[in-house]
Amino acid sequence: MNELSPISPSVASLLVVLLPFLACVVQALLGRKSISGNISLIAIVSSALLSFFAVFLPVWGNSPMAERITWFTIGQTSFEVGLLLNNLTVLMQLIVCVVAVPVHIYSRYYMKGDSGIHRYWMYLSLFCFAMLGLSISINLLQLYVFWELVGFASYLMIGFWFTRDAAVQANKKAFLINRIGDLGFLIGIALVYSHVGTLDIVALFDQTGRFVQGLTETGGLQVVQKDNTWVTLAGLAFFLGAMAKSAQFPLHVWLPDAMEGPTSVSSLIHAATMVAAGVFLLCTVFPLFNATSLLVITAIGTITALSGAVFALAQYDIKKILAFSTISQLGFMIVGVGIGAWDTALFHLATHAFFKCLLFLAAGAVIHEMAHFKAQTNLDFDPQDIRNMGGLRRYMPKTYVCMSIAALALAGFPLTSGYLSKDSIVVSAYEWASTAGGFYFVIPVTLIIVSLLTAFYIGRLIFKTFFGSFAMQSSVTAHNRPHEAPAGMWWPMSVLSICCFFPVFGLHPLAYHQTWIIQTFHARPGFTEQETAHLIIPIVLTVGTLLALLLGWFWYVKNRYPISQQNRWIRFANRQGYLNEFNELVFIKGTVGLSRLLYAFDRHVVDGATKLFTWTTQQLARLIHWFDANIVDGIVNWIANGTYYMGHLVRQVQNGQLQNYLGFALTIVILGILYLIIK
Amino acid sequence: MGLLTILIFLPLLATLLILALPISVRNSYKYIALAFTLLQFALSAYMYSNFDDSLGGIHNYEGYQYVEQLPWIRLDLGTIGILEIDYFVGIDGVSLPLLVLSTLVMLMGIGASWNIQKSTKGYYALLMLLNMAVMGIFAALDFFLFYVFYEVMLLPLYFLIGIWGGDRREYAAIKFFIYTLLGSVLMLLVIVGLYFSVINPTTGAHSFNMLLMMDPANYIDGSFFGFISNYHELFGVPSRWIGFAVLFFAFAIKVPIVPLHTWLPDAHVEAPTPVSIILAGILLKIGGYGIIRVCYGIFPDIAANSNYWLALIGVISILYGAFNALAQKDLKRMIAYSSVSHMGFVLLGIASLTAEGLSGAMFQMISHGFLSAALFFLVGVLYDRVHDRYIYHFRGLASIMPKYTAYVALAFFASLGLPGFSAFIGEAFVIIGAFNAESMATGVPRWMAIGGSIGILLSAAYFLWTLQRMFFGKIRVKGGQAWQEALTDLSRREQLILFPALALALILGIMPSLVFSKINASVLQLIDLIQPYL
Repeated sequence: MNELSPISPSVASLLVVLLPFLACVVQALLGRKSISGNISLIAIVSSALLSFFAVFLPVWGNSPMAERITWFTIGQTSFEVGLLLNNLTVLMQLIVCVVAVPVHIYSRYYMKGDSGIHRYWMYLSLFCFAMLGLSISINLLQLYVFWELVGFASYLMIGFWFTRDAAVQANKKAFLINRIGDLGFLIGIALVYSHVGTLDIVALFDQTGRFVQGLTETGGLQVVQKDNTWVTLAGLAFFLGAMAKSAQFPLHVWLPDAMEGPTSVSSLIHAATMVAAGVFLLCTVFPLFNATSLLVITAIGTITALSGAVFALAQYDIKKILAFSTISQLGFMIVGVGIGAWDTALFHLATHAFFKCLLFLAAGAVIHEMAHFKAQTNLDFDPQDIRNMGGLRRYMPKTYVCMSIAALALAGFPLTSGYLSKDSIVVSAYEWASTAGGFYFVIPVTLIIVSLLTAFYIGRLIFKTFFGSFAMQSSVTAHNRPHEAPAGMWWPMSVLSICCFFPVFGLHPLAYHQTWIIQTFHARPGFTEQETAHLIIPIVLTVGTLLALLLGWFWYVKNRYPISQQNRWIRFANRQGYLNEFNELVFIKGTVGLSRLLYAFDRHVVDGATKLFTWTTQQLARLIHWFDANIVDGIVNWIANGTYYMGHLVRQVQNGQLQNYLGFALTIVILGILYLIIK
Repeated sequence: MGLLTILIFLPLLATLLILALPISVRNSYKYIALAFTLLQFALSAYMYSNFDDSLGGIHNYEGYQYVEQLPWIRLDLGTIGILEIDYFVGIDGVSLPLLVLSTLVMLMGIGASWNIQKSTKGYYALLMLLNMAVMGIFAALDFFLFYVFYEVMLLPLYFLIGIWGGDRREYAAIKFFIYTLLGSVLMLLVIVGLYFSVINPTTGAHSFNMLLMMDPANYIDGSFFGFISNYHELFGVPSRWIGFAVLFFAFAIKVPIVPLHTWLPDAHVEAPTPVSIILAGILLKIGGYGIIRVCYGIFPDIAANSNYWLALIGVISILYGAFNALAQKDLKRMIAYSSVSHMGFVLLGIASLTAEGLSGAMFQMISHGFLSAALFFLVGVLYDRVHDRYIYHFRGLASIMPKYTAYVALAFFASLGLPGFSAFIGEAFVIIGAFNAESMATGVPRWMAIGGSIGILLSAAYFLWTLQRMFFGKIRVKGGQAWQEALTDLSRREQLILFPALALALILGIMPSLVFSKINASVLQLIDLIQPYL
């Protein structure tokens, strides 16, 4: 227990989660009466302070704590909810809080005057609640609950401007693709539950990182045989969940579209925290993965890192570039998990949260000012298109500095935090490959290429936005010109830009092994360290980054751009590899087509069978009616008619004329005589 | 007279009162109905709070609570013996939550009927009669009594759809009636067969007592449905299989399963809003209840061997219903098909024969009860205002009716299984239970669980698509300005009806133990009953 905090870490962490929830409820009740966002801000600031002083400091580096209460009982099994405070969870909770605070402050200015701002604060607090709850869940089912709630908050935020068609298309897409991942997660939970019988994270994974299955008869822990097929399947199922949430190829398609939400939201949800939840999940259930699933994870991570970087190269929308950059960086983290060095993944998660959040906030400031300029001049242009920018560093110097710092961190420039964390993953990947040998070198080589691409595309973004001449220069007058963002927006940015430098994470500027995150987690992956790699790879990366930036400088600032806009490869990257078109054609059209087909089947065949049955019954009834009318009643009528006809015939005899009677009598007599004669 | 009897026959009193009052006080009918239903609700809440969680029920007489058993019909039939029919009611963990649900949904139904103008006397009298029948079905433990209530339920429903319904109401009413009757007539044959196979050990007479039918010892050796040494066959199928199949067929029509579901969309589309609410909220649950209580209780041996096919039907219903919902352009029809899909989970959970699956199925029934009621009520709100519910005729409703949109969004998300709402618990545990079935060797393979989980994905697809098409985007409604003025936001009465349903979905989603604690003993008891035959 730390003397700094009078309350226990468990109570404090519970408060950290509940305060934003309370803010959400209060905001929901107040509705339009409260638009300042003070409620949400106070809640998140208190959460951040509590999280740092009363949770993080006492728990970090010490033994984990767990609290549980029974949620409900089914059959003989009790399902529990509770808090798990260990290094991983308190770090995650702290990152979320610390990133959320500047975003809240920034939002007060960025969202000012929006007619739906009361909803904005409500959703933002809801998201914080769900994300903070996710970080300290002790039970996989509980984790799943918050996992989906985070997705729900993201849905609400993407569709915040619900009158825009693109926004509501995007939030539907985001939710549905996340749902695919959720199914994976749920199946993973079901598999673990049916084979191990518990979902408690502490019971499943012991402290030394083993995946255990209750106690053996001798009282020792029974370790799960990881070469079982179901373990592979469960690992892949959990990874599917992480793929959707952390935007891994090919389930990344929702993230670029999610940029329809407010930029402040993109920075918090779709760059810093929520998308990292997948990486967090993988770190949590890491002992469950066996060699097969880890290899799949590594492969997908590498593909994502590469494709994200390639697609980022050709985007013109400033937010889409950053979105693809996020995807690419998430790929790095996933590779970190896949090679077993999940501590490096977590380290990159932490550093990335700060610099990517800052990149988005700075982009938001640029967009904000561009939109302002557009409104002033009544021009019609897209305020997010970098082709309409340029030279903005003269008008927005503070934003320019902040964004450049974040860009350098993203590019992995020495002295920044990004340098440390990215190198940690690339170096670990190299060491992993040299242990495995041969073909596995594809992974580190790809990661190095992606790092260079990263430097290039972020350089392109900075150069096209802040350097050169302003594309709208002709409309700039003394009154109408882009301004620096308001103080309430760049103060949070400058705080974040401080967090992009190495001292926040470790005292040694170049050695990632000495950062406090890596030292505390210290995952022990099964490969040997190589001194040379620690020397060579950073040098290669740094020199390559410089060259890439130099190339960008020549191409975009000096206007020596050598490639045609119509180049097939550029179009391919710009259209995101035609993945959306493919999905639209195959999955969406396919599903809708199938549903129409089944409905036609339902109407014509299934309901048709009912109708056929009805028709048959009716026809049978008609047939029987015919039989009844013509045969049964016919016989009756025939008899009656016959009788009548007979009577009719016979009555002719009784006509009262004497001659006739005598004639009949004579005939009978003659016939009688004839009979007698013949006989 | 016990509490349960009062609960069942209170609405009958209301019916008589409404019929007796002159037409000049017709405005009081709805208040009478409301008062009686409120009383019922209070009564059921009282029974809920005094329910002993530790008692299992199912096939165990001592496990039932609020039991009343009175001789009803005693007739000496000479050589056949004495005809013995009891008024025998009682509840256990399976029926209690459904009774509470029924009283609640009935309240919603009365609330939704508030603006009905057409011959209110008949309307409320029939509604209360239906109320009585439903309560009776959930409480009856004598098969004959059960059958009587089952048939009585049909009559008011036929007229409620056929008189107060939409344009094609006669067609829908008769389709619904014939479908249900087809099932119940066949059921009668099995009831008679069971009657002659079972002997009441204390009196020596044949019996309609369901609990006696659940004990193999009470069957006459060699009787048609006898447990042991039964060689009876019909068309080469063992007679107990026939009995199970026929009863299942009767209840499956109610659930409804694919392909016996086509009465449902028609009935829903034509029925007035309150009847839709009751139909989806209560009557579909009778199917699930019947399968658990009757099919599984009386034929546990067949239940243990048929569950592969039942689960398969469940999965088909889930996916087929979901795909059909996706193709709908009429909002009410879409929700009707989503009911087919959601009730498929109930069947899958029941068939999994695991504690998780059965509890999940029970929970799903409760959750779907008031969520579908809320959904149909919400459709009714729209239809009341502009007499249209074609999805493409609306766009951007969120800007015209923000409160309504908030309720719709909540109801949609609750229905698509967002955690924190009740449907999530139900569906997740059906899936987990179905997955667990392979480990428990109950014969349901895992791919069915995965198939069911795809239904969860599809439910998100059709709900979100509808939300996007009707509520978001720029305002564009078919009726133009006139519609925009007609589309007023929710009234206080409407919110008063919706709020409890959604609040309950939230409460049960956060505290599922409110239901699980009541049903757990019964679920375990049911599994104990079936376990020996697996």
